[in-house]
Amino acid sequence: MRSSPWSSWAKSKPSGESHVRFTKLLVLLSVLLPASNLGSQEQTQDKAKFEVDLSEFQKEIDKLSTKPYSLGGFFELQPVLFGIDRSSTFTRVRFYRDLPSHLADLYGLRLRLEGSYKKDIFSLFVKSDTSVRYELQGWNEETKLFEGYASVKPNANFIFEGGKKTMKWGKGYAWNPVAFIDRPKNPEDPEEALEGATLATADYIRSFDGALKTLTLTTALIPVYQHVNAKSGELGHVNFASKLYLLAYDTDIDLMVLTGSSRTTRYGFDFSRNLSTNFEMHGEFAVVNNFTLTAINENGQSTARQSEALSYLLGLRYLSERETTYILEYYRNGMGFSREQMTDFYSFAQRSYRVFQNTGNDSGLVRAARLLDGPYGRPNPGLHYLYFRVSQKEPFDLLYFTPALTSIVNARDGSLVVIPELSYSPMTNLELRLRAPTNIGKQRTDYGEKQNDYRIEFRIRYHFGF
Amino acid sequence: MRFGKIALFAISIAFAYASPAQSLDGAAILKQVDKNLQPESFESYRKLINIEPSGAKREFLLYTLKKGDDKIVSLFLSPASEKGRATLRLGDNMWLYIPNVGKPVRITSLQSVVGGVFNNADIMRLDYNVEYNVQNIDDGKSEYLLDLKAKTAAVAYDKLKMWVDKKAVVSTKIECYAATGLLIKTLYFKEIKPFEGVLRPSVIETDSPLYKGYQSIIAYANVKRKIVADEVFTLEFLGKIETIR
Repeated sequence: MRSSPWSSWAKSKPSGESHVRFTKLLVLLSVLLPASNLGSQEQTQDKAKFEVDLSEFQKEIDKLSTKPYSLGGFFELQPVLFGIDRSSTFTRVRFYRDLPSHLADLYGLRLRLEGSYKKDIFSLFVKSDTSVRYELQGWNEETKLFEGYASVKPNANFIFEGGKKTMKWGKGYAWNPVAFIDRPKNPEDPEEALEGATLATADYIRSFDGALKTLTLTTALIPVYQHVNAKSGELGHVNFASKLYLLAYDTDIDLMVLTGSSRTTRYGFDFSRNLSTNFEMHGEFAVVNNFTLTAINENGQSTARQSEALSYLLGLRYLSERETTYILEYYRNGMGFSREQMTDFYSFAQRSYRVFQNTGNDSGLVRAARLLDGPYGRPNPGLHYLYFRVSQKEPFDLLYFTPALTSIVNARDGSLVVIPELSYSPMTNLELRLRAPTNIGKQRTDYGEKQNDYRIEFRIRYHFGF
Repeated sequence: MRFGKIALFAISIAFAYASPAQSLDGAAILKQVDKNLQPESFESYRKLINIEPSGAKREFLLYTLKKGDDKIVSLFLSPASEKGRATLRLGDNMWLYIPNVGKPVRITSLQSVVGGVFNNADIMRLDYNVEYNVQNIDDGKSEYLLDLKAKTAAVAYDKLKMWVDKKAVVSTKIECYAATGLLIKTLYFKEIKPFEGVLRPSVIETDSPLYKGYQSIIAYANVKRKIVADEVFTLEFLGKIETIR
């Protein structure tokens, strides 16, 4: 699907070949993975005789205490099988010259490295991401520095940091309209790490007794130049952002602002509160000044409208007695398109495809592709969305096993993605995840026009540390 | 007249304290249990071990800082898949920080961070006297049996039955009940060892009728008095606890 980085790797291949290759790999993994469970079996011993070896425990602590550094991360293997919707807008616009077959398979390897070093009041932190993908054309490699920054803590009240880092503003699970600095996260996989922004920050922290327990003021300077945060707006400016956090009356409250010459000024507010031991409520509210939304009609004529873009999110998290977790969020995307604007775009793109078929003129499709690389191609380009996730912790007495079902619904056109998911950790540091996101929707709807009908992802992640 | 006033005063005092004498003793015993289980402000290392019915086990190593009545933070040091995870509790508020996610998320005390029988409320436990009132005491031969009732609905377990060793004044067993009366789990306190001159249980085992055949254990080491600034127990520090250790 378009929102996933995997989607752009989909290439035309004979569908039978893709299917067979993907199935062979899954069979091979299903044979190998039970064998990997031997790791945990080695730790098996007679439960009745189990005793904690406190002297070994002490040795482990002593070893950790002497290390000022740490290095770790994970290896990941992820085969993906795509079921491509050949008549969808995304597929036709992206692959109009050579439409892919119904099935495509992709294989990705990833290495995430994280390191840290601390000495007195100074510490360093680095997180890199290397992905190697096997595509039709062969191997493709990309390495990114996700984070790399230095931190100075002269005392418990002040923290100064500089370098590349993520700020992660906001309380929402799937969306964060107040995350003015970070790159947008993928709502279909919101817990994945993101590449940070290059900036300098200062935090002032105070704790109190009473209704106001904590106050933190964060200020950030964000340069936007050709080689630094180049996609964060107009080049050649240093922008300013600030966030005031309060823990008051057992409620998390944030007030934030981003201003400068690179982007229009934006203000935000969020909150989060536990209503009981198993019930949490959160929300976000953001205003972007002078936001310009450029839409096209079905004939391709564009209109630009400037206004205050108002986005907000309300969410609940509930844990039942049977340890089922429910997450529900409503998101109003103030920078999104109305249903009519979305329909117009799909009509324009489909008409351009027919023109190309009849005349060979691809100018309309080239323009549509450009728009898909912009606002129309965002994971959630519409105005109103609902997110729902239900996950069950360790059913059937199976430890470290969590089945889940997630759905994101475009509340205006009724189209949706449904994501069944199984995750399991058969041994220490090994995580397996099987997901099958499936797009459901009629023609000219948000999810109905995505590139794939479905995709099947199998992710194997092995964590390591020194 | 003066004698009458004194007698009236004495009788009033006697009536005032006669019936709550039992709960007053219970509160004092509970406070002493808390004092003997863990210092008011300390750092410690804990090993959490989940044992499956097959005997297979998985271990987690945590560093913990506690300050006063209502502040506690724990950092996972191993295994690698959990390293850097941190949980913060300020009174009834609890947050989880996952390095990959990169920001603290509010969690509820009944959730489990790592799976198994222990949940957040067990791992991030405050002193019992902060969260519970003593409703009743049974004075046994070598043990007291305290019936504890949660002070607010925000406490994870509505009722506790606590067996207390009279001599050491430490809990030996605690049964945890939901408001419905359902037994959620039982904690067993074992291996009493000296930590900075005070005898404390160094191992807590738990089992649960909800997880038949499963067992979880917490072992303590290096429990030391340590006082850090209140600001360490804030969301801003949650991703940086390793730098405090």
